[in-house]
Amino acid sequence: MKELQKFAYPIFFAVMAVLPHLLNDRWQAVAITFLIFSVVALSQDIILGKSGMFNMGQALFFGMGAYTTAILNNLFGWPIMATIPLAILIPAIFGVLLAGPIVHLRGDYLLVVTIGFNIVFVQVLQNNLGGVTGGPNGIFGLDSLSAFGLNLMSQISVYYFAFVVLLLTLWIMHNLEKSKPGRALHYLREDQLAAESIGINTRIYKIFAFGLGAGIAGLAGTVYATQYSAVSPEAFEFIQSVLFFSIVLVGGSSVPGVLLGVFVMFVLPEIFREFATWRFFIFGFAMIAAMILRPRGIVPATFGKIPKFLIKESSHGA
Amino acid sequence: MDIFLQQLANGLTIGSMFALVALGYTMVYGVMRLINFAHGDMVAASAFVGLTIYTQVMGQATSLGAVIVIFLLAALTMAVVGVILERVAYRPLREAPRLSAVVSALGASLVIQNGIMLIWGPRMRIFPELVPQVYWDLGGVVISLIQVIILALSLILMVTLYLFVEKTRMGAAIRASSIDQDAARLMGINVNNVIALIFIIGSSLGAVGGLFIGLYYRGITFNMGWQYGLYAFIAAILGGIGNIPGAMLGGMLLGLFNAFIAGYVSSTWADAFTFILLILILIVRPTGILGERVAEKV
Repeated sequence: MKELQKFAYPIFFAVMAVLPHLLNDRWQAVAITFLIFSVVALSQDIILGKSGMFNMGQALFFGMGAYTTAILNNLFGWPIMATIPLAILIPAIFGVLLAGPIVHLRGDYLLVVTIGFNIVFVQVLQNNLGGVTGGPNGIFGLDSLSAFGLNLMSQISVYYFAFVVLLLTLWIMHNLEKSKPGRALHYLREDQLAAESIGINTRIYKIFAFGLGAGIAGLAGTVYATQYSAVSPEAFEFIQSVLFFSIVLVGGSSVPGVLLGVFVMFVLPEIFREFATWRFFIFGFAMIAAMILRPRGIVPATFGKIPKFLIKESSHGA
Repeated sequence: MDIFLQQLANGLTIGSMFALVALGYTMVYGVMRLINFAHGDMVAASAFVGLTIYTQVMGQATSLGAVIVIFLLAALTMAVVGVILERVAYRPLREAPRLSAVVSALGASLVIQNGIMLIWGPRMRIFPELVPQVYWDLGGVVISLIQVIILALSLILMVTLYLFVEKTRMGAAIRASSIDQDAARLMGINVNNVIALIFIIGSSLGAVGGLFIGLYYRGITFNMGWQYGLYAFIAAILGGIGNIPGAMLGGMLLGLFNAFIAGYVSSTWADAFTFILLILILIVRPTGILGERVAEKV
């Protein structure tokens, strides 16, 4: 697997780098969607897969980033690029504030509370709180991307924007795994009690994971708002969170698994458009089958560089 | 005062529907420690099954006998679906990591929800008027016959269920399995049968809830299961999940809360207030109102 990955990643990056020049407009848009949703799914993976917290409200942070960009650009005239710091910070701060009082909740309770956050968020958007969210229609007519005085309005530049964000996310996740917080999250995911007893402040690290995941999702939101030059509440409904939740677990919370999951969930339906109405019916069966056949996901995550013969297969889960 | 009494009546009606559906969640959670996400969609499916039985099988009859047959057939259908669901989607995952079963439940939910859409179409359907439109005006408070029937029948079902679980041998087996499955098995209880029984009871109560939703709101859509299911699930958590009287209490409280928010504040904010209430209760008392404080097993 490791040898395969050594070749697979450079090939994947090379293909993704030249891809937009081989595609027409429609498929470029699909490719951008793939990149954006991959970033959101990976940010969900930090909270759900890496830290083992049942978060089913990731669309909230994604939407918060998108709305931050849209509001700052549309109402206050900030260029898209200038909104990025706040589009990361605001969701991250909300992630920390919302997670603070709830991270101690048991798995299923946490899941329901995060669903609740997501639904409250969408209702706030729809009711146009503070008169800035544009109500059920959302906000449209954002400026196009520009940097260093150049106007980058083509779809290809949005693609590379999304691609850079994905690379950044992968780099963060790669470093996270090798860092102290990453190890702490891994331990608390495997066994919270044991992690606490070796001196890991689980509460701080759980909140940290929420903040990090929320910030990355917020950045993805900026790209999303740029792609459609519009945002509306239904793009961040909690059914989206359900999809991200499922992608991470079916994929196995590893990078290849999550990317595969995003591909199956969002790209395949574009290829098989005639089956559009059957989409979720088939996915539902696929989710059940995948879990029965591979309960740990299609491509289960491995942690660190522990030789295989040293890893004991455990039957109990997160 | 009129608004108060009116919303009290409405709240009790909605609350008893929530409670019926919540029982399905809480019983499954009590024994299997699994949120059965497909339950809400089964409730929605029941309304559509009832509609089809009414038009295709009963020839649009609305006599008392016909209505009883519709209720029984819909409950029977959903009980069968519930048992199949458990057998196919949940039983193979009993020993798997908890999250795998959650994903399987979400998958089952998508299958049922979109199955309804493929069979009955994506548009809203109108549920038949099985109960005559009779209203009583009690000094400014209007109560309909449907509300009285929903409230009375729900109470009868809930009391029956409570007595069944508390007073019979099968009920004792259910309680034993929810405390400790392995110990229950050692006592000679067939836990697989208990779980099948729970799905039969939960699904048929949910089916009755679905027909009530059809009768009360009239418009039924294929994706309404998520909404009612989520509310019912919140009701189960409010009362303390796994606790049967708790689900009844939670359902009633949530129904009243919703009705008063809609009556006094605004119905566009009802969802947000409901979830804020849930979040506050979980922060203050994480195991719900009637839930026992138990340390998580290590």
